[in-house]
Amino acid sequence: MRWPERWPATLLLALAVGSATAQETTLRIATWGGSYEAAQEEVFFTPFEAADDIKIETVAYEGGTGILDEDPPDLVDMAMSEAIAACEAGKLRRLDHGALPDGADGTPAAEDFIPGAMQDCALTHSVYATVIAYDRRAFPAHPPTRIQDLFNTEEFPGRRALRQRPDANLEWALMASGVPPREVYDLLSTERGLDLALERLNRLRERIVWWRHGEEPVHLLEAGEVAMASGYNGRFFAARNRGASHIAILWDAQIREQQTWAIPAGARHPEAAEHFIRFATRSGPLTAFAERMAYGPARHSAARAIRRHPETGADMRLHIPTHPYNDRNAVAKDVDWYAHTLERIRSRFRDWLAP
Amino acid sequence: MGEATQTSIGDRLRRSLWLRVAGVLALGALAGILAALLANVFVAAVIWANDALLISPRSRMMAGDTALLTLATVMVPAAGGLIVGLLHRGITEGRAHGPAEIIAAVQTRRGALPPRAGLFSGVSAMVALGSGASVGQYGPLVHMGGSVGSALARVFRAGVTADNIAIACGVAAAISTAFNAPIAGILFAHEVILRHFALRAFAPVAIASILGYVVANAVLPQPPLFQIAEAEIRHLWEFGSFLLLGVLAALVAMLYMRAILGVGQVAQRLRLPRVLRPAAAGAGLGLAALWVPDILGIGGETLRLAFIEGAFGRFELLLVMSLKLAATALCLGMGFSGGVFSPALVIGSLFGAFFGSCLGALTGGENSALVVYAICGMVAVAAPVIGAPLTAIVMVLELTGSYELTLAALAAVALANLLASRSFGRSFFDRQLRDRGLDLSGGRSRALLASRSIRDVMGDDYVAVAPDSSVAAARAAMAAARSSDAYLVDREGRYRGTLLLQSLLGAPDAEAAADWCDEAHAVMTPDTSLWEAMQLLRDFVGESVPVVDPDGRLVGIVVESDLIRAYLDLLDAMREEEHAVA
Repeated sequence: MRWPERWPATLLLALAVGSATAQETTLRIATWGGSYEAAQEEVFFTPFEAADDIKIETVAYEGGTGILDEDPPDLVDMAMSEAIAACEAGKLRRLDHGALPDGADGTPAAEDFIPGAMQDCALTHSVYATVIAYDRRAFPAHPPTRIQDLFNTEEFPGRRALRQRPDANLEWALMASGVPPREVYDLLSTERGLDLALERLNRLRERIVWWRHGEEPVHLLEAGEVAMASGYNGRFFAARNRGASHIAILWDAQIREQQTWAIPAGARHPEAAEHFIRFATRSGPLTAFAERMAYGPARHSAARAIRRHPETGADMRLHIPTHPYNDRNAVAKDVDWYAHTLERIRSRFRDWLAP
Repeated sequence: MGEATQTSIGDRLRRSLWLRVAGVLALGALAGILAALLANVFVAAVIWANDALLISPRSRMMAGDTALLTLATVMVPAAGGLIVGLLHRGITEGRAHGPAEIIAAVQTRRGALPPRAGLFSGVSAMVALGSGASVGQYGPLVHMGGSVGSALARVFRAGVTADNIAIACGVAAAISTAFNAPIAGILFAHEVILRHFALRAFAPVAIASILGYVVANAVLPQPPLFQIAEAEIRHLWEFGSFLLLGVLAALVAMLYMRAILGVGQVAQRLRLPRVLRPAAAGAGLGLAALWVPDILGIGGETLRLAFIEGAFGRFELLLVMSLKLAATALCLGMGFSGGVFSPALVIGSLFGAFFGSCLGALTGGENSALVVYAICGMVAVAAPVIGAPLTAIVMVLELTGSYELTLAALAAVALANLLASRSFGRSFFDRQLRDRGLDLSGGRSRALLASRSIRDVMGDDYVAVAPDSSVAAARAAMAAARSSDAYLVDREGRYRGTLLLQSLLGAPDAEAAADWCDEAHAVMTPDTSLWEAMQLLRDFVGESVPVVDPDGRLVGIVVESDLIRAYLDLLDAMREEEHAVA
C-alpha cells in the first residue's frame, strides 16, 4: 500500500515543477520517425503534453552526434555508443539518476534498470535489435536460417538492403566466417579482422542497396525490391502488423543495443528535458512502448508486465529481442568499443565504399 | 588427554580403508575447487591487465594510433620482464617453476612442492602474461593447481601417495576450468603428471576435475580459449593428408622446442645479468610487435583468424608462424615465466592453415575447409610439446563437440607424438628434466631409483686398517669384527683400498696388507644414486662398498643387502601407488 500513496505525490510535484518552469515551453526532441515515432507519440509525447504545459516538437534524426553541434534540440533519442562518445567529448549534459522513481512493483530504480542503463549522460529506455529480415516469397522452399545466408547469394539470391554504416555489417561479416559473438570485437580490433570483414562485404557489394533511414528497409522489403534487409526488429514487427505478412525476421546474429535519452549540452530547456526523461522511463510507459514496438524495456519491472499488442492481441513477449527463442547467438553491441573507434571505423568504411 | 584422542582418531583413520578412501576423495575435491577458482582468478587478472596495459587488440584499437600506444608496446613487455626478473630472485633456482617440477615431484615420489616457489612462479607468470609476453598460460595454471594440491596434502598430513594424488587433482581442475574441458583435464593429469591409471587416483582426480569446473563456472565464469563450430571432412583421402600433416607438424614442434632450449643456452653465455634478461626479451618483443602486433600476448585473436579462410595470405601464415615461434623462444629462453602450450596452439594452427592452403592450391580447392587443417595442425604441434596425445584429441572433442573433427585430430596426432618422442623426447618437460639430470625415458622405476642417493642406506659399521698394517694385523682386525672385508684408511681419513678376507687368507703374515688390495673394488660417492649403485652391483664381489667423498675421505659403506632392501621398498611403494585400488 505504500507505493500507490506515493504516486500522486510524485505526479503533483512533477506538475508543479513543470508548470512553474516551462510556461509556453516547447521541448524539441530528436527522434527516428515512422512507426517508431508514432508509438512514442502515443505512449510518451501525448500523455506528457496532457500532464504538463509543455509542447513537444519532434526533429528528424538518423543517428550520429552531428546534431549536437549547432542549435541542438533539447533531447535526443540516441544510441548508447554515440551517447558515450558525445559525453566524453563534453557535448551532453550529465544526468542525475538519483531522481528516478521506483518501478511499478516497488523495485528501487537502481535495481530496476538493466545493467549499463545508467550512464553519466544517458539513460536507456529500450533495448532494440538490429536484425536481418527477409521476404518469405523470395525463398518459399527453404528460408534463410543463419547469418551465413546473408552472404550466400548462390543459395539465397536477390538484393540485400543494408544500412550505409559500418556497425552491424562488419559484425555480421565476421560472424558469417564462423566467429562466435564473444570474439567479434576482439577480431574487429585487429587490422586483419577488419580487412577480412570488409573483404567479405566486398563480395556482396553489387547486390547491396544502401539505406539510411530506419523505415527504408521496411519499404524495400514490402515492395519486394530486396530479398533480405537489415533493420530494427520493431519496425519489421510494425510492418507485419500493417499487413506485410511476408516479412520474417532472422534472429540469428541479432545485434542488440541500448537506446537512450540524452540531453545536449546546448539544450535550451534542459530542466524540461530531464522532467520528460523521468516521466517517460517509468515502468508503465516503458511497458506500453514495448507492447507496441517489440523492443525490450529498460526496466525489469516493465519487462515483467509485457502482455499483448493492444490492437492485434499478439503475445508480445515472443517478439522481444531478449526472449529465449530469439536470444541464441545474439551480439551485445560493444558500445564502449564503438564510442572510442566509431570515427576511425567509419572513415575506413567510407574509403571502402568509394574506392 | 586431547592428544590421546587425536592419536586414536588418526590411527583409526589409517586403519579404516573406507575412511582413508573418503579422506583422499575429500582432499581431491578441495584441491580441485581451490585450483579451479585460482585458475579463473588468474585468467581474469591476465585479461584485465592486457586491457589496462594496451596489450589486447581491443584496448589497442580503442586507444587509437597514438604515441602512447607505441610507447606501451615497447615499454610494457620490457617493464613486465624486469618485474619477472626481480621476482625470480625469490626462487632458489632463479627461474620460475612449471609442469616439469610437478612431473619430477610426482614421478620420483617426493611430492611436497615448495609453496614459496609456487607463489613466486604464479605471480611472475601473471605479470609476464599480463604485460604481453609471448608465453602460454596453461603451464603456470598447471603448476599453481599442483602446488595447491600439494600444500593441502601437507596441511592434512597426508602421505606421499596422497600428496601425488592431490597434485594431480589440482592439475586436472586447473586444466578443466581453463579449457572448459573436464575430461581433458582428467586425462592430462594421468597422461602427463601421474603417468599411470590407478583407480585410487582416478576417482579423486575425476571428482576434482568436474567439481572444480562446476564451482568455478558458478562463481567466476571465464570464456574458453576457443570455440569452434562444427566442420565437415569432405573426402576420405584427406585422412592421409592429416597423417602427413602430423609428421610435418612434429618437425615444427621439434623446431619450436629446440628454439626455446637454444635461446636458453645462448642466454646463459650472455654478459647481461640474469635479472635483466627477461626485460631485454620484452623490449625486443615489443619492437617486433610494432611491426607485427599478432605476436604479442597469448594470441587468441591470431588463433581465431588462422581458422578463417582468407584471413592470411599463404606467405603471411608462414611469416606470422615463424615470428610467433621466434618470439616465444626469445621470451621463454631469456627467462620469462610462462607456458609452452598456448603458443604451440597458435603456431600449430597457423602451420595447419598453411598446409591446408597449399593442399587447396594443389587439389584445386577440393579439400575440406581450412578450419579442419588448422585444428589438425594445432593439436599435432601442441601434443608432442606437452607429450599428451590423448589429452589433445579429447580436447578437440570437448571444444568442438564434433566426432568427425576429433577423428581428423586423431590422425594428425597419431604419428606426430611418436616421431617427436623418438628424436626429441616425450615432451618439452621431459627434455627439461633430462637436461637437469632426471631422465624419465627409461621408465618410472629407473627415474625413481635415479632420484634417490645412497646416503640414506649408508652405514658406518666397517673395519678400518692403517695403510702400513701387516697382513696378519689386518686379518686379526677382520676376524675380531666378524667381517669379510676391511678398508685401508690413512691418518687423514682418506680411502686407500679394500681388503677382502679371501685374498688375505693365503698371504704371508709379514707382508704389507696394502699389497693385497682388491684392485677392481667398486667405490661410490654419497651422491651415487640407487640406480647407479644397482648397476655397480651387477659384477660385484663382497659384502659392502666404500663410500668416498670428493676429497677422497671414506665417509661410510653401503652393505649389499641394505641396498637391495631399499630398491625393493621403493619399487613396492611405486607399485602400490600405481596398482592398488585404495
